[in-house]
Amino acid sequence: MTKKDVSWKVQKMMELLPPKLSRQVVLSLVSCVHCGMCNEACHYVKSIPDDPKMTPSYKADQLRKIFKANHDWTGRVAPKWVGAKTPITEEDLEELKDIAFGTCTNCRRCTYNCPMGVDTATVNRVMRGLLTRVGVMPEGVWAVSKDSWEIGNQMGVLMEDYQETLEWISEELVDELGDEKAAIPIDKKNANIVYTVNPREVKYDPRTITNAAMIFYAAGEDWTMPSFGWDQTNFGLFSGDDVMGGNIYKHLEEKFKELSGNLLVISECGHGYRSTRCEGPNWSATPQDFRMESSVTTMLRYIKEGKIKVDKTKNTEKVTFHDSCNNARSCGLYEEPRELLELVTTDFQEMYPNRQENYCCTGGGGAMSMAEYTPRRLKSGKIKAEQLAATGAKIVVTSCHNCVDGLGDLIKHYKLDMEVKQLVDLVAEALVMEKPAEVPEEKPAEAATLAGYKILVVDDEPDMRTFLSTVFEDNGASVIEAADGEQALTLAKSEKPSLVTLDLSMPGKDGGEVYASIRQDPQLAKLPVCIVTGRPELRKLIYDRDVPRPEGYLDKPVSEKDILVNARKILDLSE
Amino acid sequence: MTMVEKKINNSKVRLVRGDITDIDVEAFIYDITADAKLGTGYGSAIMARGGKTVQEELDAIGTCPTGEAIITGAGKMKAKHIIHVNGPKFHEPDQEGKLRSAITAALKRAEENQIKQLAFPPIGTGFYQVDLQLCTRVLVDAVSEHLKGTTGLDEVLFVALDTREFKPFEAHIGQGG
Ligand code: SF4
Ligand code: SF4
Repeated sequence: MTKKDVSWKVQKMMELLPPKLSRQVVLSLVSCVHCGMCNEACHYVKSIPDDPKMTPSYKADQLRKIFKANHDWTGRVAPKWVGAKTPITEEDLEELKDIAFGTCTNCRRCTYNCPMGVDTATVNRVMRGLLTRVGVMPEGVWAVSKDSWEIGNQMGVLMEDYQETLEWISEELVDELGDEKAAIPIDKKNANIVYTVNPREVKYDPRTITNAAMIFYAAGEDWTMPSFGWDQTNFGLFSGDDVMGGNIYKHLEEKFKELSGNLLVISECGHGYRSTRCEGPNWSATPQDFRMESSVTTMLRYIKEGKIKVDKTKNTEKVTFHDSCNNARSCGLYEEPRELLELVTTDFQEMYPNRQENYCCTGGGGAMSMAEYTPRRLKSGKIKAEQLAATGAKIVVTSCHNCVDGLGDLIKHYKLDMEVKQLVDLVAEALVMEKPAEVPEEKPAEAATLAGYKILVVDDEPDMRTFLSTVFEDNGASVIEAADGEQALTLAKSEKPSLVTLDLSMPGKDGGEVYASIRQDPQLAKLPVCIVTGRPELRKLIYDRDVPRPEGYLDKPVSEKDILVNARKILDLSE
Repeated sequence: MTMVEKKINNSKVRLVRGDITDIDVEAFIYDITADAKLGTGYGSAIMARGGKTVQEELDAIGTCPTGEAIITGAGKMKAKHIIHVNGPKFHEPDQEGKLRSAITAALKRAEENQIKQLAFPPIGTGFYQVDLQLCTRVLVDAVSEHLKGTTGLDEVLFVALDTREFKPFEAHIGQGG
C-alpha cells in the first residue's frame, strides 16, 4: 500500500492523533483486557444483547487498532496478533463514523464499571474528534457545529430572535407580576449574576427562561442575560472538536468579563455544565479565574438563605429524578438536585439504579441531532424505559435539556404514563411570591389573548385535533381543522388563518411537504407555523429544506400551557 | 464598530467586528460548498434575513467548484450582493493554493459587477478547519495586492465574529499586508 492509495483524510487523521494521546487516553488504549465486565454497564448492550458491536470494548477497539499500528511497539512486532490496523479508504472512515456516533452516547457508565480504569467514552470522543476534523460526521453534527461556529450558538438562533424572545418574556412577566422590575435585564454591567442558557430554551422551551426569571425576581437578585456568549452548551464536547469547544467557552468568558459580572450561572444542562465548568478552560488553555455554578445550586441557595419561599404542596404528584450523565458521572452534581427536589415536592421516589450507576437517557453525546441513528437509539432505551416505569412516578425530573428530549422520546416510544420536567419548573411552581401578582390569573384574561385570531389545526389524529381546537377555542380563538396535507393547503388559502399548527407525520402529503408548500407559496409564505409532532426525529423533514424555519416547534405530548405560550408568542412576533 | 483602518492607494481596508450577514455593506463573501447549497451557520442566517431568493439564484447556477466564486443578489438583506466562494474544506491538500484561487475569483466577480464595497470573513477557519493564521495572512496579502492595482473597489472590510478571529487580522493588517 503506497501513501498515494490512502485517503488524504486518513493521512491527516494520523497526523492529528499524537497530540490527543494524553496519559488518560493511552492508559485506556493499552489496559483493556477484554474481560467483558463493562458490557452489562452499557445501555446498548443491555437493550441489544445479541450484537457484539454494541460492547464498549469493540467501540474503543477501533482507535486501539490504529494506536497499535502507529504508536505501540506491539503493533510493530506482531500486528496481526494484537489486531493493529489503520483505516485506508473513505468507506473505512464511514464505518468508523457509524460506530463512534451511532453506537455510543459517551455516557461513561462503562468507565465506572471497568476494573482496569478504561475510559471508553473518552477514547470514543477522540475518535469523533479525528473524524470531524477531516469532515466525516453525521449530517446533524455538521449542521449544529456550523451553527455553533458561525452564529455563536448551536441552534443558529439569530441575535434579533434571541432579543425578541427575551423582550417577549419580559413583557409577559411584567404583565403577570405587575412590576416593571420583573423584566429581564440584557447586558447589564456589574450585575451579581450573569445567566446563560441553552438555545433550546430560547427556541422551543422559553417557559424555562420565564421560570428562571421569576425565581430571580422573587429572590430580588441583581442579574442579567448577555446579548452574545449566552449559549452555555457546547457541541465541541459531542463532536470531539476541542478547538470549537474552547472557542465557545471563550465567548462566555469574554462576555462575562466585559460585563464585569460576579457569578456566571449555567441553566440546567448536563453537557453545558460539564463543558463550561470542567472542560472549557482545558480546551481553550486559559485559567478559570472567575466563579460559576449550576442554577440548581443557585436555587437551592436561595431557599436555604430564605431569599425565596416555596410551598412543596404545590407539587404533590409522584416524581422521580434522572441523573444526567454529564452532570452526575462527569461533574459530581448528585446531591444538590435531590436536596432541592425534597424541598419543592411532596412525593419523591428514587429510580434504581441511580447517581453514578444511572442509565443514559439515550439522548446524550449529541444523539438527538443524529436522525439516522434514531431507531437504534430508541431500541437502546429499553432498559431506561423499564427503569422509569418501575418508579410509578408521573413526573421524571432532570437537570438537562438533552435528557428532556431523550426521555421525552422514550416516554412516547414506550408509551409510559409520565412527563418530563426540570427543577426550574418545579421551583417556579412551588414559589410563594411575597408580593402577590396584582393581575389575577383567571381564564378571562387569557381568553382575550387569542380572541380575534383564526387558527388552522392540522393533524391526522382526531383526538389531537379535538384537544388543540378545544384549547384554542376556550381561549377565544376561532378554529378550523384539517385531517391531511391537501385539505390543510386548501383551507390555508381559503380561510386565511393567523396561525397553523402542523403535524409532521400524516398519510399522503407529510407535514414537511405541506410546510414547504406554505413557505413557497407567495400568498402563504408569511403565515406563521407551529410544528406539533410526536416524532422529533422527523425534524429533518423541516430543517433539511431550503426554506425559512418554522416560528414554533413543540413535541407531543403537549400541555395546554405549552401550546398557549407558543401560540401567543408566535402571534405577537408575527404582528 | 470600526477598530482598524488602512489606506491602500485610493481604497481603504477596514477591520470590523460583527456578524457578516448583518452588517451594512454592498456585498459580502460567503463560503459555500460545491453543491451551492446555503446550509446552516451563516447560510441559515442568509436564508432567514434574506429570504429564499438567494438559494433560488444559487440553484439556477447549480454548482461552485473549489477555488471558484459565484455571485447572487442578497434578497432582503442589508447587502445587495453575495459572492459565494468555495474555499478549502477541512484539511484537504493545498489549502493555501485553493484559498488564493477563491479570493482571486471573488475579487474578479466584484470588479465585473462594479462593486465598490466588499466584506470578507476569514474563509473556512471555523467549522471547515482552515488554519486561521494562514487564512488571515493570505486574505490580507491578496486583497492588499489587488488594491494596489487598478480597481473599482473603494473599500474592503474584514469582518471578525469574535476576538479569536479579530486578533490575527489586526496583526496582519498592522504588518503591512
Ligand atoms: S474496558 Fe475494562 S471492563 Fe471493559 S472489557 Fe476492557 S478491561 Fe474489561
Ligand atoms: S460510554 Fe456509555 S454508551 Fe458508550 S460504550 Fe460506555 S456505556 Fe455504552
